[in-house]
Amino acid sequence: MHRVIERIINLLAFLLTVGRPVTADEIRHTVAGYDEKSDEAFRRTFERDKDLIRGLGVPLRLAFTDRFEVEKGYAIRPEEYALPDPGLTDEERAALWLAARMARLGGDGVAPSAIFKLGGAAATSTGDPLSADLGADATVLEALFGAVVERRRVRFRYRERERRAAPYGLVHRRGHWYLVAGVGKENRTFRVDRIADLEVEEEPAAFERPPGFRAADGFPEAPWEAGVDEIEAVVRFDAATAWWAHRQLGADTPVTEHPDGAITARMRVASPEAFIGWLIGFEDGAVLESPAELRSRFVEHVRGPS
Amino acid sequence: MSSARTAERLGRILAMVPWVIAHPGATVDEVCRRFHYDRNELVSDLNLVFVCGLPGYGPGDLMDAYLDDDEVVIGMADYFAHPVALSASEALMLLAGGMAVLSSGTADPVLQSAVDKLTRSVLPDPGVIDVDLGSEPGPLALLRSAAAEGSVVAIDYVAIATGEATSREIEPWAVFAAMGNWYVSAHCRHAGGERVFRIDRIRSAAATGEHFTPRSTPPEPGVRYTPGAEDAVVQIRLAPEASWVADYYPVTTVASESDGTVIEFSASDPAVTARLLLRLGGSAELLAGGDAAMVRRELSGLRDRILARYM
Repeated sequence: MHRVIERIINLLAFLLTVGRPVTADEIRHTVAGYDEKSDEAFRRTFERDKDLIRGLGVPLRLAFTDRFEVEKGYAIRPEEYALPDPGLTDEERAALWLAARMARLGGDGVAPSAIFKLGGAAATSTGDPLSADLGADATVLEALFGAVVERRRVRFRYRERERRAAPYGLVHRRGHWYLVAGVGKENRTFRVDRIADLEVEEEPAAFERPPGFRAADGFPEAPWEAGVDEIEAVVRFDAATAWWAHRQLGADTPVTEHPDGAITARMRVASPEAFIGWLIGFEDGAVLESPAELRSRFVEHVRGPS
Repeated sequence: MSSARTAERLGRILAMVPWVIAHPGATVDEVCRRFHYDRNELVSDLNLVFVCGLPGYGPGDLMDAYLDDDEVVIGMADYFAHPVALSASEALMLLAGGMAVLSSGTADPVLQSAVDKLTRSVLPDPGVIDVDLGSEPGPLALLRSAAAEGSVVAIDYVAIATGEATSREIEPWAVFAAMGNWYVSAHCRHAGGERVFRIDRIRSAAATGEHFTPRSTPPEPGVRYTPGAEDAVVQIRLAPEASWVADYYPVTTVASESDGTVIEFSASDPAVTARLLLRLGGSAELLAGGDAAMVRRELSGLRDRILARYM
């Protein structure tokens, strides 16, 4: 392990100071640790070293070595290599480290490498009983995150359709990650765990986000608010279910309380289908009073095919 | 030596070196605390840095790295004056974790400024990443501190399967967010064993004043569902628009066909299965066999009860 680490530190020191792209051949004859290898052994070693370096987050790029564009070489631009200092205090670093360890993505916790780069923090146990499982296949999510940050277009398959999209942002809501992306002139939302065969295109800065874009904007608070309809549904929740309904209704939903403990809520429904599914969760503890059209649709759904 | 271990060690060196350069006079204790070293590990990494440098590799080309009494000294290494930029996965974990804990509404205020600073530094525009676990108007904060302090909590809990309300005393171990809901895992004195409760179904909660000794190794928080012998097991054919069910519930996929997926769904109470089927409506079909007859009875009872309110 010593020799691998020494060799890679030497390689990084060389590429960070040389100021131009250098060919694999020049690296082999210049950097200590590569010189004594056969052609084949060098090729394999160098491939492994490149993977390792990139895995650490080092932006190792391939570029032409001269203006005739004959040969390509490797380059690390110091300004790309360096972490811009976010200016965290020790307390902020500790809080971030604690929070990151409370969350899991795709079953994985955070590696200490992240906090080391930011200046390190003591290795205390979290001692906090709170945690969050953020689900998702971490590989797909990381690739999308990189594409969002670097503004690279993505291609993927979604519900059996091929898509090409400008990834504007990522949102986590109700246990799932969503990609908010520009497809043609429209903004669309895709559930990340249904994205298949993801490919990130090469070109960075390939699109502009709409001015003032915020991924959370337009993201509905509740499932029945995700849609295009504008229906005001009036629902009466019995005394036994009123408390639970209350918790799930947005603060801006008008609610009337009745002397027996029941409540009547005037709900904004944009997706009747999601709304019906949610209302079934209350079983016979709630009644949809109006509008008549939605009411008959609900009854039809519950009755099922005859 | 595995490449993961190599990457780990190399990553730590490439982070420690710039920090020491930026903090002349740093003590061994301080460097060890920040970068999770013991003294021997630190010395062995410094020895390694000491033999590296620029081509030529003569005394004037190699880096300085050694201990001077209790001080860590690194020099001749200006090209390593900055740590490596965060990888996509590191930046995502830090931001998503920070935002997730903030959204619980029970976080240390200093976390907000940490997330704000990191967002400005890592993201091209603010607001391209947003994590919200759903603010929990229920007793999340109370349960979190009860778990930390070892306080017994009396809860009124409404079971999802049956709608039945029970009062119980619990010894909370952990609160956690998973699959879009907040849960508390606890020793339930009423049931005499480990139970996981959905926090939005806890109608009221109050500390009893009694204390318990928190377990040194509580079970990993998670929504575990272990099928029991008494479970109702059925097969359901899901139309493509209902395929989310297979992602959302712990089910076994029996067959994937072009016109849908057949899953095996088990639940300790057939009412759970019936409610799911009723929600899915025409996009799910209960297949014959197993406990289908029992679930079908349950489903028709549920239908009748709801429809009775619309007569």
